[in-house]
Amino acid sequence: MKKKLSKVSMFSLIAAAIIIFITLFVPWWGMEFYAPQYPEGLDIIVYPTTLAGDIDVVNGLNHYIGMKEFSNESFPELQFMPYIVAGIAVLTLIVAFLRRKSLLYGLIALFALGGAVGILDMRRWLKKFGTELDPNAPIDLEPFVPPIIGENTIANFVTNSYFTWGAFLLGLAFILMIFPLWKDRGK
Amino acid sequence: MNAQRIISAVVGIAAGLLVAFVFFGDFGNEDTATSADNKSKAEKVFVPYGELDDYYMLASGGHSGQLFVYGVPSMRKIRTVPVFTPDPATGYGYDKESKEMLGDYTWGDFHHPAVSETEGDYDGEFLFANDVGNNRVAAVDLGIFHTVDIMDLPNMGGPHAGVFLTSNTEYIALPTRFARPLGGEYASLDKYEEEYKGVVSMTTFDKKKKEFDLAFQIVLPPWSYDLSDAGKKDSSDWIVMTTYNTEFATTNLEINASQNDRDYIVMINWKKLEKAVADGKYDDVNGAKMVDPRDVKGAIYAVPVAKSPHGVDVTPDGTRFIASGKLAPLMTVFSFEKAFDAIEKGDFDDEKFGIPILPYEDVMEREVDPPGALGPLHTQFDDKGHAYNTMFISSEVVKWKVDTGEVIDRKPSYYSPGHASAAEGDTVDPDGKWLVALNKIAKDNFLSVGPSHPESMDLYDISGEEMEHIMAAPVDPEPHYAQIIHRDKIKPKKLYEKDEDRPNSVWSVDDAHIERKGDEVHVYGVALRSRFVFDAKAERPDAVTVKQGDKVFFHMTNIDLDQDITHGFGINDYNLNFEVQPGQTSTLEFVADKAGTYPIYCTNFCSALHQEMSGYLLVEPK
Repeated sequence: MKKKLSKVSMFSLIAAAIIIFITLFVPWWGMEFYAPQYPEGLDIIVYPTTLAGDIDVVNGLNHYIGMKEFSNESFPELQFMPYIVAGIAVLTLIVAFLRRKSLLYGLIALFALGGAVGILDMRRWLKKFGTELDPNAPIDLEPFVPPIIGENTIANFVTNSYFTWGAFLLGLAFILMIFPLWKDRGK
Repeated sequence: MNAQRIISAVVGIAAGLLVAFVFFGDFGNEDTATSADNKSKAEKVFVPYGELDDYYMLASGGHSGQLFVYGVPSMRKIRTVPVFTPDPATGYGYDKESKEMLGDYTWGDFHHPAVSETEGDYDGEFLFANDVGNNRVAAVDLGIFHTVDIMDLPNMGGPHAGVFLTSNTEYIALPTRFARPLGGEYASLDKYEEEYKGVVSMTTFDKKKKEFDLAFQIVLPPWSYDLSDAGKKDSSDWIVMTTYNTEFATTNLEINASQNDRDYIVMINWKKLEKAVADGKYDDVNGAKMVDPRDVKGAIYAVPVAKSPHGVDVTPDGTRFIASGKLAPLMTVFSFEKAFDAIEKGDFDDEKFGIPILPYEDVMEREVDPPGALGPLHTQFDDKGHAYNTMFISSEVVKWKVDTGEVIDRKPSYYSPGHASAAEGDTVDPDGKWLVALNKIAKDNFLSVGPSHPESMDLYDISGEEMEHIMAAPVDPEPHYAQIIHRDKIKPKKLYEKDEDRPNSVWSVDDAHIERKGDEVHVYGVALRSRFVFDAKAERPDAVTVKQGDKVFFHMTNIDLDQDITHGFGINDYNLNFEVQPGQTSTLEFVADKAGTYPIYCTNFCSALHQEMSGYLLVEPK
């Protein structure tokens, strides 16, 4: 039987679990829209549980180019994301208390996989919204795929997509998860 | 004969050249000084793009019945807010609510705005307006710059001497200008002294419900009440009013009301009258609780004042009131403290109406009579103990020290100022920054637009020892008075709040529907960029079919909750138009008495597809 993970590692994982849990309440990703008429900018803000910001206004403007309206209902992920996030936080806690490295490898793999799937899912949605434009819309626009991070120009709008606190905290949780691998190396 | 002509022509030309040489010769660098001067004046008023003016100037629109909103110091006009007059541009007077508020009136004569006060300082919540033309008082909500209530005042004859507010907006007071029999009933002018009355309306305003109430009215002798002010601080229980026509002239007032050397300033203790009314000491007169101040001990006094005064203004510290002589070329400083002493001593005679008259010499503190300064109309204040008086006849502003009467500076105005307005200059805490003279005559100040001229406003920088005339700006007829309030005190909303419980509101396209009850057709519709939806389930959601003679209600909600996305709603050939601001619900009610096909369209340019934002009203013939 291998030695258990160190106490320090355990605390690191507990901290990761807490941080993962906290991300439920902070935004993960956002997109800002600027136009000559909107110098103050419009916002779409994505929490793991809900959309926020100027959703109605952005939807109102998007109808000119035939983009589908988006709302909490159009993203089923928002319904089950809280359970996934809470589940991972609980799993992290379990791994912390069991203090077994093999489980930790499993956790890290799961976490990384979750992240990758999440990003692919976002990309899928962005592509869907940007390319499945209503052909009857008053303004014809070439289909486009807004980037997950960075700037894009659509008609009179410059958009800026960015990860924010939730994503940063998840990154921090990931570091706290892999920290035990270094701390307890060679054991 | 010819030689004489030639000689006089030559002499004339020579004299002209001499004069031109003396006056316009380049003896120094006066020109460069002037241009540097103008540059620094321009810098004072230029507000670069992206920055905002420091002050709002809320100016009455006189017989336009509207409120004009200006930015100070740039003197740019920002907005016209309709108050007593319909305004097709915003649909004011067309939508159901404002139509009911205006009644059948098509004009008003708005003289003196008053921003709501707390402890004698503007709180920036509401603005009150008087209508001299049709005896009304109105409230504008400064959160939305929209008129929210108008109340008719019975027994009045043009409430010119209002509105003024007591220190905590307990009362919005409006004294009458023309004496009139109570209720406006018929009475021969021969019975002027007996039958005609002067009345002061004391109204209250419920800030939550946004509603006026006529608390009580004060019946007074048939003098004309010109202007008035409420006391401040220690004098805050009192109101002071100037009178003219104590002669009881009933014709040709220009001459006949200018005979007495002295008219009166009336002092009224509103606290005592409030209590008397609460104790039931009043008569019900045409729905108003009418109290006679002579029946309430210590509630009314009069002080003689040089004839036919115009303004009476209480100093920021509340210790004095200053009468502007108008026909007597002087400002008279009266002391509240001295008045209170005279009242204490019981040192007075009875006027023939039974009003105690305080001796002029006992109450007057000082007469200020700058040589050649004629026609003082109104006083404003700064933060350093100075008063500023407009001089209508000598067309100037005079700055003087209240404590000593010393004249500090005089500057011309262009031309003939009525009131002036200083930054927060009638509050307990004036800012001492800017003064705007509201002139009655513009002549050739601006590009000519023919015989009907704009009025003119002079902006002065009053932050230094000497006043500096900065610029003149044109204005539509006719601001009588204005108040200048710091922008930080006004907190306007950007949108109407989304309120799903609001009657008649619809918040999604799918919920738009039409209900028919007998000959009433209620359309619960939405306006959004860039369409109307009246009936979500109809084949054509933007067409409404009614029968000739139906009473049609368009309950429209603008669901674009986005700043400055206003939708208009005009019906072709039906003489109807109104607007819905973002998040607002408004109703247009009318009888579809003309059969036919009438396009409906958005009248306020809203988006790139504004032109397409339209529909049809189809009226089936009977």
